Amino acid sequence: MVAAAVIALLARRGDEQAVLGEDRPTLVPPALAVSPAPALRIGEPVPLGVARDLAYWAPVIRPVAARASPSATAPVVARLATQTPEQTANLVLALGRTTDARNRIWTRVRLPVLPNNTIGWVPRAALGGLSAVRTRLVVDLARLTATLYRGGRQVFQAPVGVGTSQWPTPRGAFYIRNRLASYSSPFYGPIAFGTSARSAVLTDWPAGGFVGIHGTNQPELLPGRISHGCIRLRNPDILRLAQLLPIGTPLTIR
Amino acid sequence: MSHLTLEQFDRDGALREAGSRLPRKRFFALAAGGAAAVFGGLAAPARGATKGDVAILNYALVLEYLQAAFYTETERVAAVRGQAARAARVVGAVERAHVAAFSNLLGRKAVKRPAFDFKGTTEDQQAFLKTAVAFEDLAVAAYKGQAHLIESDAVLAAAVSIHSVEARHAAWMRHLFGIRPATSAFDEAKPKAEILRIVQSTGFVVAKRPRTRAQGGPRFTG
Repeated sequence: MVAAAVIALLARRGDEQAVLGEDRPTLVPPALAVSPAPALRIGEPVPLGVARDLAYWAPVIRPVAARASPSATAPVVARLATQTPEQTANLVLALGRTTDARNRIWTRVRLPVLPNNTIGWVPRAALGGLSAVRTRLVVDLARLTATLYRGGRQVFQAPVGVGTSQWPTPRGAFYIRNRLASYSSPFYGPIAFGTSARSAVLTDWPAGGFVGIHGTNQPELLPGRISHGCIRLRNPDILRLAQLLPIGTPLTIR
Repeated sequence: MSHLTLEQFDRDGALREAGSRLPRKRFFALAAGGAAAVFGGLAAPARGATKGDVAILNYALVLEYLQAAFYTETERVAAVRGQAARAARVVGAVERAHVAAFSNLLGRKAVKRPAFDFKGTTEDQQAFLKTAVAFEDLAVAAYKGQAHLIESDAVLAAAVSIHSVEARHAAWMRHLFGIRPATSAFDEAKPKAEILRIVQSTGFVVAKRPRTRAQGGPRFTG
């Protein structure tokens, strides 16, 4: 009975083709156009993989107090401006995060203040977008070298000049926070990087006594303990480093 | 539950907090992709595409940049846990594949990746899921909204193939967030202007990267 109904239905539709077998009909649909090939060749999903030396930094987008713990009532450990003395964005290295009872996110940050190695908490809303770096710079005060790692692999090494015993280069964990160029001071070489490290001795130095990483017009002094705390490289070395060193790179001075 | 739009979803304005720091004119220019300028720089597979299709491809690329960056940051920051973290990892890998495909197709004239500020939504479980649902629903509506404007069958085939993937992502994220994955018989499309207005209102796309370079004389300790 079903077969009869189908045959009757097909008989009313002149645009369909029906092939009747011995006992039952088989519907053959009209030929369809072949689907076009997509314009895109979408590859396989792209996993991130393991990222060694991954670190995040963020700009301070409104003046904010960094606190000893993630609470608006915790003691203030530093006050952060939105700009550095060089008029670049003031950056902090993001080390961690938590959410308080009011569901506000707090970010644990490394701070560019004295005493060196100070860490504090700031509301996430005071920071801008996170930027990632996969580099790490290590300055060895004993071996007088600067070594840059990217993704865990050494990509640069050069001899350095560091602070004298009177004006020592501070040890600890810091970060690169800006890059200066096109200035007219041969003393600093062609490029200077600002760091979050500060001299614990030259606290009355202009702009607060921040430690820089820069070139020099006295390359014959390198390597050595010859500076006021800054880390000096020969000019060809600082130029090479400048091609490899992104802002926000964590800096270890040991 | 009726179909949620991003605006309905974001009643408390969490996605729109702080507003946008990207000037409206610049944002729309970025998303539009400057079709005329882009057209001459296409990679071989897109040479047959019309100017209109090229503009649509760059519009799609901007949305894919946004999604890929969101999931990548979520995975890297590692503050999101459990099934949500797994979803971020899987969906992020797919969105990065979409970015690569659009970038390859458009060649050197593909719009550049903007800077993003996800305002902590990659760093909190609930904020992540809420934003992910909004993003995926938005992507589905965006692709659907362009379908009738695409002139090339090949571009349309590509868009449809991505559209269904985005719909699966939307269902997955909705499930994880605790709302029904499929709620209505028909989904609405959204025109480009509305999509861009919504994205701009989140403030996730920022005007420029932080200024980290200067030309003044150093005052470091020396």
